[in-house]
Amino acid sequence: MEVSHSVKERTIAENSLVILLQGLCNRVTTVELRDESTASGRVTNVDAFMNVRLAEVTFMDRQGTLCHLDELFVTGRNVRYVHIPDDVDIRATIEQQLQAIHRVRYFGGRDKGRKEFPRTKHR
Amino acid sequence: LYLNFAKDNKLASFLQAYDQHLNMILGDVEETVTTIEIDEETYEEIYKSTKRNIPMLFVRGDGVVLVAPPLRVG
Repeated sequence: MEVSHSVKERTIAENSLVILLQGLCNRVTTVELRDESTASGRVTNVDAFMNVRLAEVTFMDRQGTLCHLDELFVTGRNVRYVHIPDDVDIRATIEQQLQAIHRVRYFGGRDKGRKEFPRTKHR
Repeated sequence: LYLNFAKDNKLASFLQAYDQHLNMILGDVEETVTTIEIDEETYEEIYKSTKRNIPMLFVRGDGVVLVAPPLRVG
């Protein structure tokens, strides 16, 4: 469970479907890009902006030329589709990711540690 | 559900999840790509259409143009 180290990224991910893509880490999937090329490989990391890092990738461009790459980084804006493997339970994956974020957020207990969203003192 | 995409791609599928950016998770997708080819000699327009089936797909909201309920016959 890799949770992002940035508060901003965690909140963005927590409130959108990117969190499902983050749960696909270490799965082999196909990412289709906006320009109709495809990249098939193992997802190593997805951030809140949908930038995707893949490993052991087979990249096929629009013309159909195949090429094998050890690593590939795709900018979030260029993603069109992400194929989700059949053996993924979507609801469970999302819940696991949310739990990982909550574990990080409430680390140290209620009264210890730096709080992410401090309770307001005066109103 | 029918979704119309940028660049003449249509998707017909069941909507499973969505978020405010219109990123969607679709089950049982049938994608139809329509292309127009122009014959160099006769200048005729030939419409080509290719279909593809994908069991489960995540779609980025950027590319979504239209979302519509299935058309009812009659």
